Amino acid sequence: MSKEKILIVDDSEMNRSILDDMLGEDYDIIEAEDGLEAVNVLRKQASDLSLVLLDIVMPRMDGFGVLEAMNQNGWIDAVPVVMVSSENAPAQVERAYELGVTDFIMRPFDALIVRRRVVNTLLLYAKQKRLISMVEQQVYENEKRSDLMIDVLSHIVEFRNGESGMHILHVRILTDLLLGYLTHKTDRYKLSMRDISMISTASALHDIGKIAIDEKILNKPGRLTKEEFEIMKTHSTVGAKMLENLPVHQGEQLLKIAYEICRWHHERWDGRGYPDGLKEDEIPISAQVVALADVYDALTSERVYKPPFTHEQAVGMIARGECGAFNPLLLECLTENAEKLRTALETDSVEEVKRRKLRGISEETLRGEGRSASERTLQLLDRERMRNNFFTTMAETIQFEYTVSPPMLTVSSWGAKRLGLDEIIMNPNQDSKLRGVMGESTWERLSKRLRSTSPERPEVRMDCPLHYGGTVRWHRIITRALWSDDPKPKFDGALGTVVDIHDAHLKMQELEQKAARDQLTGLLNRASAREQIELRMHDQPNANYALAIFDLDYFKLANDTFGHQFGDQVLQWVAKSLCRSVRGTDISCRAGGDEFMLFLEYNTDIEKTIDRVFRNLCGKYENFQIAVTMGVALGEDVGLSYETLFHAADAALYAAKRAGRGRYRFYDDSLQTLLDSVPHAEQEETATIH
Amino acid sequence: MTLQECYAAMGADYNGVLGRLRSERLVQKFVLKFLDDGSFDLLCSSFASGSWEEAFRASHTIKGMCQNLSFTALANSSEELTEALRGGTPAPQAGELLEQVRKDYQQTVDAIRAFQASL
Repeated sequence: MSKEKILIVDDSEMNRSILDDMLGEDYDIIEAEDGLEAVNVLRKQASDLSLVLLDIVMPRMDGFGVLEAMNQNGWIDAVPVVMVSSENAPAQVERAYELGVTDFIMRPFDALIVRRRVVNTLLLYAKQKRLISMVEQQVYENEKRSDLMIDVLSHIVEFRNGESGMHILHVRILTDLLLGYLTHKTDRYKLSMRDISMISTASALHDIGKIAIDEKILNKPGRLTKEEFEIMKTHSTVGAKMLENLPVHQGEQLLKIAYEICRWHHERWDGRGYPDGLKEDEIPISAQVVALADVYDALTSERVYKPPFTHEQAVGMIARGECGAFNPLLLECLTENAEKLRTALETDSVEEVKRRKLRGISEETLRGEGRSASERTLQLLDRERMRNNFFTTMAETIQFEYTVSPPMLTVSSWGAKRLGLDEIIMNPNQDSKLRGVMGESTWERLSKRLRSTSPERPEVRMDCPLHYGGTVRWHRIITRALWSDDPKPKFDGALGTVVDIHDAHLKMQELEQKAARDQLTGLLNRASAREQIELRMHDQPNANYALAIFDLDYFKLANDTFGHQFGDQVLQWVAKSLCRSVRGTDISCRAGGDEFMLFLEYNTDIEKTIDRVFRNLCGKYENFQIAVTMGVALGEDVGLSYETLFHAADAALYAAKRAGRGRYRFYDDSLQTLLDSVPHAEQEETATIH
Repeated sequence: MTLQECYAAMGADYNGVLGRLRSERLVQKFVLKFLDDGSFDLLCSSFASGSWEEAFRASHTIKGMCQNLSFTALANSSEELTEALRGGTPAPQAGELLEQVRKDYQQTVDAIRAFQASL
């Protein structure tokens, strides 16, 4: 049987090491050097852990942070936490208890105390854990029959009268304690701690055969007749048969033990019990102990046919053999520890009730009072399966998981390494590294889109550039939101994967660019130029901008004289000259026909710039003298609107033409009247299309 | 030098630690390990740079280790320092307390080194 796992969380390596030395022989130790690491370990294997030893003061995330995360994720229900600290301010201690810690160990450590506390806490939780793992096992094996065992148990409760809940609980506690004392006395039975908790867990099933017993007999006040007693006696074999016929779990240790207990918990040491008349150690130790616990609790409890006996009376009656013969060693355990047993039963049951209230785990289910434990377990397992499926189908990519509370992003180690992120990112909204990689708004956009999904359609796909390793690459984020199963679903977080789509994206961009460009000259076409101009002005509204429109003088002549092919070559020559004389950040475009447009940003003397561009555009292509006429409008004169700039430049061009071609002219207020009278190029173009 | 003498030299409680850890071997192991712990350096550097939270944690760690090892003198002075650093702003006497911790730390480390040399 494998050792129980203990997680030690302490930022001091020496303190971890001391605890490790105290406990390492008996337990598997996992170490975490701060709260974040601890949460990560819990995230991966909370259900495997038996105990957390937790320091308070630690860097990155302190002990309280861990406790809060454990509460938010429900781990605190399954894994007991013992605080290990020299912090003993009452407020701190109280806060820790409020957050669900089971116990405190103060520094300096005493080896005996540490071991004892650990054992106590583990014992306290062992029962719950076994039950949970039982349920988990069922789920894995057969989803449909997931909580069959528990169903069986709750049926008993339905069939039996009110005594059952406490009786089952008491028998479990007594069984557990008696076995503990027994192992101190003898190693004859070779009982491991795990065996003990399995026997205690299985003890809950000792009377399941009573389902089959007529309630009239079961709850009859007063003595049973001989016939009735014979019927009553069948409950042991009936219960054993039920377990034998269970369609699942055959071959499991727990079931084997439960079978022993059901069948033989009415056997007696001297061979005078039923149903098989086994004697002494022919009776499995599990059944021997449960038999004693059963008798003791029956005596001390009120029954329909008798008042309760005191603890002393009960122990006396058992010791004198009035309820049949028991293993002398067990009797010693009972009498020697009579006091301890009584107080344990009293305090433990109070504790149990409290714990049940607080944690609502296995006991609750056992009593049929609620099914939160199994449902929660199911939900967790379901999520686990979903997660695994999702991830295994998405191999070789960057994977991540996001939880809302605590706000935490976990990135697969391969992915984290590739993107240069931490594997665990607390408060991702505020993480500067993550922002650096994703850009300012991408995280918010993604988070918003995830929150607006529904449990039925939880998937989100988003393409975005990621910045890492000194480059920018396009990625596709494929993610699904996790919604809770509540009637009103709550957004719990998301699972996702990130795929590098850079090459595909570049191809797309290339295609887009092609569509945005004029085929002949490679310059932008008018629509995309307008888009870019507006974007530029929107992004940087404080810069100085100029828009120039020009067309070729006598271009029609070139076409007519030398043919269209020649005309095309002229246009290409002009486009080239234009590109040579402007900067890469300027936006140049063939607006249509022989009309071109240039949008530029300037700091100093714009007239000089325009003059230079203008001169570069004039020249000779073969024998054709190329000249242009140009109108220019400045943003500072007319305002930052594409429309206004365009019309003003157009008006200036018109005015320049009227003044006799081969020149450029800036728009000024004197041209105001032209603005209304000039037929706009835009409108002209539209007109020709229609 | 025996381990007991080492404890006496650093003003520490040998019987106390042995009573708790219950094995001379363990005590010796952790005493020697104390030399490798970087908390004191961290305390000094974070104190110097005014990183008070880090200084608090470092001092806290030293205190915890010393309590575990029954290094009484250093445990006491580091506890005082820890309290003086609690809450993010150092109390006025923090500098003085750091000097005491430095002194006790030196004494402790000297004793352990002497013990180590005699092994």
